[in-house]
Amino acid sequence: MSGLLRVREAGLVLALLVICAGVTLREPRFLNGANLEQVALSATLVCIVALGEALVIIARQVDLSVGAIVASSAFVSADWLSKHPGGSMVFVFAIGCTVGLAMGAGNALLVVAARIPAIVATLGTLAIYRGAVIVFAGGRQISATILPDSYQAIAQVRVLHVPLLVWIAVALTLVLGWAASYTRTGRNLYALGSDPESARFVGINEGWHLALVFVLSGLLCGFVGVLWGARFGTVDAVLAPDLHFQAISAVVVGGVSIFGGSGSVYGAAIGAVIFAVLQNGVQLLGLNQFWLQAVTGAAILGTVILYSLLARRAERAEREGRRRSVGLGLNRGVGAG
Amino acid sequence: MGVLARWEAFLVFVLAATLALGALASPYFLTASNLSIAVAGVMPTAIVALPMTLVIVCGEIDISVGSIVGLCAASLAVCREQGLGIEVSMLASLAVGMLAGALNGAIVAYVGLPSLVVTIGTLALYRGIAQIILEERGVTGFPDWYQEIGFGTVPGTPIPWSALIFVAFFLCFAVFLHATHRGRALFAIGNNREAARFSGIDVRRAILGVFVASGGLCAVAAVVLTSYLASARSDTATGLELPVITAVVLGGVSIFGGSGTLGGVLIAVLVLAFVQNALGLAGVTPEAQQIVTGCVLVLTLVLFGAARALRTAALFRRVRAG
Repeated sequence: MSGLLRVREAGLVLALLVICAGVTLREPRFLNGANLEQVALSATLVCIVALGEALVIIARQVDLSVGAIVASSAFVSADWLSKHPGGSMVFVFAIGCTVGLAMGAGNALLVVAARIPAIVATLGTLAIYRGAVIVFAGGRQISATILPDSYQAIAQVRVLHVPLLVWIAVALTLVLGWAASYTRTGRNLYALGSDPESARFVGINEGWHLALVFVLSGLLCGFVGVLWGARFGTVDAVLAPDLHFQAISAVVVGGVSIFGGSGSVYGAAIGAVIFAVLQNGVQLLGLNQFWLQAVTGAAILGTVILYSLLARRAERAEREGRRRSVGLGLNRGVGAG
Repeated sequence: MGVLARWEAFLVFVLAATLALGALASPYFLTASNLSIAVAGVMPTAIVALPMTLVIVCGEIDISVGSIVGLCAASLAVCREQGLGIEVSMLASLAVGMLAGALNGAIVAYVGLPSLVVTIGTLALYRGIAQIILEERGVTGFPDWYQEIGFGTVPGTPIPWSALIFVAFFLCFAVFLHATHRGRALFAIGNNREAARFSGIDVRRAILGVFVASGGLCAVAAVVLTSYLASARSDTATGLELPVITAVVLGGVSIFGGSGTLGGVLIAVLVLAFVQNALGLAGVTPEAQQIVTGCVLVLTLVLFGAARALRTAALFRRVRAG
């Protein structure tokens, strides 16, 4: 199984390199330092959201409300900052993360306590959260001019010539990737995703784990909301309308099975980078922007069908291998090993 | 079955309460012309809610309905731009809708992928295609009789033409779902797919069928909506899935599949229409109405969940006592 995962990620990196090479051949400006930095920056925000979404999907759930949470966190924290220009940045992050945490907890409550399927629960909260922030904003837009410079400086800080945001995304990817693979809680998520019934029978607390992934997803979205404002300067209530698609596409293309229980957080991160490169490539090559959404949809469908075919073939191969070892009269343990 | 009957009685009560509150909120609410406007405004949602009921009864879901409506509206517009007659354009958009639904259904039924992720993918795909073929153009200049479909009323009455279209489809769907062998089979599929298959129901063909019906009725909704808005654009009906699924769930259809009635969905659609209209008359913005729709969806599900938990608890007690 881990062999298959490694193959998946190698394939993803290969796909990424092929896309980069294709874009560079048509437009050498792609490899320009400033352009690569733009690509990296637009990948980071989607990437952090995709990390949370990946954990949610690994546990066989889905979170459609991520875009609405990011917008709420961005607007509420920027609104506070515009009224308290001297406020501490730590406090701004605390506000954004609290908003995200609360909204994630709302999702968790509906899915775990009220036992509503995640798809309809988060479709409902998507409307509620987005509507709430639109009403709160009342059509206002918080522009860069009324926000203190220290806010936007967050997006401009560099460490070793690379923007701090990129380091943050890389660090979060590594930490969450490690936690998903090597901690007991992380492994439990995979168990719950691949077979909830069996996971319950071996004593895994389903409610606690599902609540954890929704709250974590909300928290990451709250964090991204603050970064969003810092990166783009202007904040309004309708920002990030398609973020749930971008996140889910990144996760699915990154090889996380939509049935739950397999795939990795690293794959989701690579998926986010692939989409950032595609988006940038479409812009650089002067292609019609409208193609992007169709390509995203086709990419989701294509990869899901591809992975399901691969999984079916792997299953068949395993079954045949087992039958052969039994037929030869070998010990099954030896045959499987 | 008893619980469902009670749920529909409850919905009728809610409908009456909505009408009473609306009348209190504004003296214009209970006028024939206002009620006619309220009903005409909700018809696209109502038309799509019919096949959505079938899809959800089967234990599946179709998130892509808003995008199929958008794609059909865009196809209609492109046909008009090419100088085709409105009748031909409507047929073309119907074909596009059924094709889009057939793609959803084929992948779900024959490739065996969950409808949730398939229709999330096609939601993006179909909206993208709509944007590619129509870009940011808006197409207007429809014949007068076509414009009548969306906003006009049957002469001498306040009944909108679109409501007549809806009622015709409602009767067909209600007879099919509740009174034919194939319709009843959908409940069996939603309750226990494996058992349905072993009792000789062609599960795959049934699922393909409901998705094709969903695409087809999305095309009908696109025709009505384009006429209502008097212009066809590629962003038509963005986010339509939320009110449609809300109406179906509020109508008492179990989100897990296997139970529900179209009568309940009909009352739920009317409740949503009048709630929105009353809120609009009271000066509530469409964005705030979105919160109300979301809350209605979530609260209904919480209520249903609580009722189920109570029933299960009662059952346990009875088993233990017996």
